[in-house]
Amino acid sequence: MLMQSILLALRSIARNKLRSLLTLLGVIIGVAAVIALLTIGGGAREHINAGMANMGSRLIFVFAGERPDPSAPVINEAKPLTSAHFNGLEKAIGSQAIVAAVATTSMRASFGARSVSAQVTGASENHFLQREWKLGRGRLFSPVEAESSASVCVIGSQVSKALFGQESALSARIRIGPAHCRVVGELSARGSSFSGQQDMQVYVPLGLFQTRLSGKSQIDEILINAPNQAAIEPLKAQITQEMRNLRRIGPGRNDDFQVEDMAEYIQQTNEFIGGITAFLSAIAAISLLVGGIGIMNIMLVSVTERTREIGIRMAIGARQRDILVQFLTEACVLSLLGGLTGIALGLAIAWGVTTLMGVHFAPGLADIAAITAISIAIGIVFGFFPALRGARLEPIEALRHE
Amino acid sequence: MDAESARTPLIAFEAVWRSYGAGDTQVHALAGASFDIARGSFVAVTGPSGSGKSTAMNILGALDVPTGGAYHFMGEDAGTFDKPRRADLRNRHIGFVFQGYNLLPRTTALENIELPLIYRGLPGRTRQELAEEALLQVGLEGRGHHTPNELSGGQQQRVAIARALVSEPTLLLADEPTGNLDTERSHEIMELLTALNREHGLTIVMVTHEPDIAAFAGRRIGFRDGRIAFDSATGDAASC
Repeated sequence: MLMQSILLALRSIARNKLRSLLTLLGVIIGVAAVIALLTIGGGAREHINAGMANMGSRLIFVFAGERPDPSAPVINEAKPLTSAHFNGLEKAIGSQAIVAAVATTSMRASFGARSVSAQVTGASENHFLQREWKLGRGRLFSPVEAESSASVCVIGSQVSKALFGQESALSARIRIGPAHCRVVGELSARGSSFSGQQDMQVYVPLGLFQTRLSGKSQIDEILINAPNQAAIEPLKAQITQEMRNLRRIGPGRNDDFQVEDMAEYIQQTNEFIGGITAFLSAIAAISLLVGGIGIMNIMLVSVTERTREIGIRMAIGARQRDILVQFLTEACVLSLLGGLTGIALGLAIAWGVTTLMGVHFAPGLADIAAITAISIAIGIVFGFFPALRGARLEPIEALRHE
Repeated sequence: MDAESARTPLIAFEAVWRSYGAGDTQVHALAGASFDIARGSFVAVTGPSGSGKSTAMNILGALDVPTGGAYHFMGEDAGTFDKPRRADLRNRHIGFVFQGYNLLPRTTALENIELPLIYRGLPGRTRQELAEEALLQVGLEGRGHHTPNELSGGQQQRVAIARALVSEPTLLLADEPTGNLDTERSHEIMELLTALNREHGLTIVMVTHEPDIAAFAGRRIGFRDGRIAFDSATGDAASC
């Protein structure tokens, strides 16, 4: 009986191809948007997680500023971190873990007549540079260079391309802001990403950055690489205590700095991306509602057009239930077709976008199963009223219908 | 047929009323019509439009229920059946043949004939066999895969008769079955119905305007103003 209804539904839809397609546009667009957003969001999350894990899941970050408190909307301007804090931490925990400081600013880098706006980072240590980047040509700073504020730099592939074209940048002296430095290394290209132009980086020793470029002892971030996972929490406690001492924070007062580890970052980022994805999907889902109304509309038309058919079926023994099932099945088959088309379209869009973004394309089977179920549910919900109208027709009236 | 059911008439209309509306504007399509029809009869129903004959046919076919009096079918009080039970009664015991054939368009003859069996829940194979058999019975073998618009009026009416026969009904209700056909086709259809009545003992009640068509039936009932004006089985002017 159900099989019969499905065949009947398919035949009826096939008879009105254009009308069915137009009706289904709402469902198709809604499903495609939801699937595309969920798949792209999932890919982005995976990509960022992988990037962060690559940086080291044992990293601890220290930066200035109070932990945001929703109950205290006014945030005091925090005292910045300085080399004094870095040196203090280095002294306290340097024997257990690698401690590094970084400071970043945007500056013009130039060579001869060519110049480019670059993201200049001063680093006290090239340990992290080594983890995060692949060296293309040349070398990183030597420890002596890093500590002695030597005028050397390591440049990103886009910077190299802008200043030197296809030629080697190695050993050339480029101007960065007011300073001149010798290029000792070039990083391999990472490709463009939604997180910014990663290949526009220039790395210099922190000492050079502070004395010649920024002119301040201020630093943006102190990074600590814990020797193992178990050491993270004790280290964080020790760092917090040391920082309170260094910044002279009395008992009972809040920290004016934050100590976080990679796991927290990954979690926060996931929550953020998850939130945005859910919000956008919810907006896209409004289109599903519109699609459902379209289905209801066309089913009402279908029931009216086929009033006589309903009458004939009733005369030869169809019960109200049979008519209800017939039209409900038709609505479900219709919305399921829309759903499947939408899934295919959404996956195609997601594939295109993830490929362009350089992100892994990994469709979620649970998402696809859920949206398929939702498509069928739309058919049931919006097909019910028209189907009930058909089922409640009086056979005599229906037979008389022209 | 056992002795009990032989004594009980197939159909018993007992002072049946069918009224519409209420109060001053109330209209009575049937106003106390009474008649019995025995199994195996071939009855022609006649009467001017508005005489109540169509309403009577609807009640006979369990498409409608009386507002007064009683309708007994096979000894059961069918006038009080609820909708699902009436649907089941139509499906198992009553075949309909309409003036306009009422076949489903864009659906083959065999699929049209199978339709009543789908609602009986029979499996596809059985439905096909029975439909082929019914098609043979009305002399349309080989036409099973044609859709109604590929068939002539007479052929369409044969398909409609096959659809009515496929469920092996107790009663065949025909509403002006030859109304859309020329004389020759009309007589062919009437010969088919007469043969079904004679050879298979099928009870037929047929509405018609035409005296030469009514002449094929063994009994004639005339309606006027919602009552029986004439019944050839009981003599003229039975209940006027």
